[in-house]
Amino acid sequence: MIAVQRDLALRAALLLALALTASSPSAQTAQRQPAPRNAMVYFHYPLDGLRVPERFTVRIGLKEMGVAPAGVDKPGTGHHHLLIDTDPGPPDQPIPADYNHIHLGNGQTEVVVTLPKGTHTLQLLLGDHSHTPHKPPVLSQKITVYVR
Amino acid sequence: MRGLRLQLIVGVTAVFAAAMSVSIAQERARARSPAPTGAKLAFVDLQNNARIASKVTLRFSITGMEIAPAGTARRNAGHHHLLIDTELPPLGQPIPSDFNHLHFGGGQSEAEILLSPGRHTLQLLFADHDHVPHDPPVMSEKITVEVTAAPEEKPRTAAAPNARIFFVGLQDGAVIPPRSVVRFGQENIAIVPAGTKQDNAGHHHLLVDTELPPLDREIPSDFNHLHFGRGQTETELTLPPGEHTLQLLFADHEHVPHDPPVMSQKIRVRVQEASATASATRPPPATAAPPRAASGRTPAPNDAAVYFVYPRNGTRIFATSTIRFGLRNMGVAPAGVVRPNTGHHHLLIDVPTPPLDAAIPADLNHIHLGNGQTERKITLPPGEHTLQLILGDDQHVPHDPPIVSERITVYVGSAAKRSARR
Repeated sequence: MIAVQRDLALRAALLLALALTASSPSAQTAQRQPAPRNAMVYFHYPLDGLRVPERFTVRIGLKEMGVAPAGVDKPGTGHHHLLIDTDPGPPDQPIPADYNHIHLGNGQTEVVVTLPKGTHTLQLLLGDHSHTPHKPPVLSQKITVYVR
Repeated sequence: MRGLRLQLIVGVTAVFAAAMSVSIAQERARARSPAPTGAKLAFVDLQNNARIASKVTLRFSITGMEIAPAGTARRNAGHHHLLIDTELPPLGQPIPSDFNHLHFGGGQSEAEILLSPGRHTLQLLFADHDHVPHDPPVMSEKITVEVTAAPEEKPRTAAAPNARIFFVGLQDGAVIPPRSVVRFGQENIAIVPAGTKQDNAGHHHLLVDTELPPLDREIPSDFNHLHFGRGQTETELTLPPGEHTLQLLFADHEHVPHDPPVMSQKIRVRVQEASATASATRPPPATAAPPRAASGRTPAPNDAAVYFVYPRNGTRIFATSTIRFGLRNMGVAPAGVVRPNTGHHHLLIDVPTPPLDAAIPADLNHIHLGNGQTERKITLPPGEHTLQLILGDDQHVPHDPPIVSERITVYVGSAAKRSARR
């Protein structure tokens, strides 16, 4: 009885491992930096649904990882990107640099932004030394702020 | 069928009403109230071609006649009408009542009106108890006003007319190294940090490679518009080689330029290559050692600051808590990484501030966050504890000036309370 259970468990583990390798193309895993499973990026300020002035400071928190400027290749580190009014792109591509994707490439953990009045969404995404998201991507919840 | 009949009735009524009003008008035309010859009507304190806010209070002055509410028939009396963006109505009949013809039948001599931005014409016309202009008509000049955009509603902070700001020791056409200190000077205007409201005072903004922003609103904050909200009068500027323009613009507590705006001349500078050999070999910036300050320590921006996001000073925290760090105007880099304007955090628990010219010690009371972490979970025994943050450079040495937080006191659940609960 016990032996059968162990066999089942083994088979399940094997299946799981197979499924995992199948779902992730090996070419990309080699390039993307691994992130700890419990790593998390989040907003200290503002919080979801907050009314904010036109000019405000976004403060960024990071759990279980460290911050390093862009170009510094060190395991377990990355630099912040603030996504404004946009969705994250494909996770295996470098994060674009434009007005909607603010790179904090010097290792900054806060940034002053000026937004026009209205509703805006903000999201944080950690990028590695080459601006590519980690595996799995360290991505914050997408929050909505109301600029008054 | 029923609809048609209804239309017919409406049409007939309209024709009848029109005929009635014409007959009334003709009748009224014969009965215009006389006006004295010296009567004069004018706007108070409003000139032709004036620039006004969209919400404005207009005042009317009548001389030689009296104001009487509509419906009160009196000799040499009447009430005001304001004509907006319209020609004079026919003088022999009552003044129409619509958005272009405002009646002040209560005898008001001032009115607050709201105008859209742009050019508008305004004219006053006096009329008798039946809203019919007098004979001869008493009216003001037709004036044109320009309504400026909405922000005009909030007056900008005043500046002395002889206030001026300028670059110190930096001439138009100067050749400067890629990393140089730019100094700002000011005359007849005071420097106060952003957020401090005061007339004839403000803080500097350096415009790099950009035109003047709109002067009636907040100066943008980006790489081209550098704010010196702490009242700094110098900055270290890093520019790529080539031609650049620099201009200073002073602004008030809300980053809005003054009235009149205080700005420097826009100067051109040429940034030369760092050095011939450096440009030939092109070393990656990470390996290029940043210039050391006179003290030999790594320089830091003088507006950089490190602070506790959590906990706040004087608060009670759990024995096991995550301490969260904030860093302003600098970046975080792991220990050993040489990058200008970066460092890594050190959390000091229950120890005084260490010497600032040597490497921060590494022990249980000096926690090094050498991997660039911005928070740390710690467990403290019950009681009172102090926490302090210091930024260290690649060698764990504090910067120059040192980036040190205030030393905060926190309390971990009181022992008495805990035993009482047990």
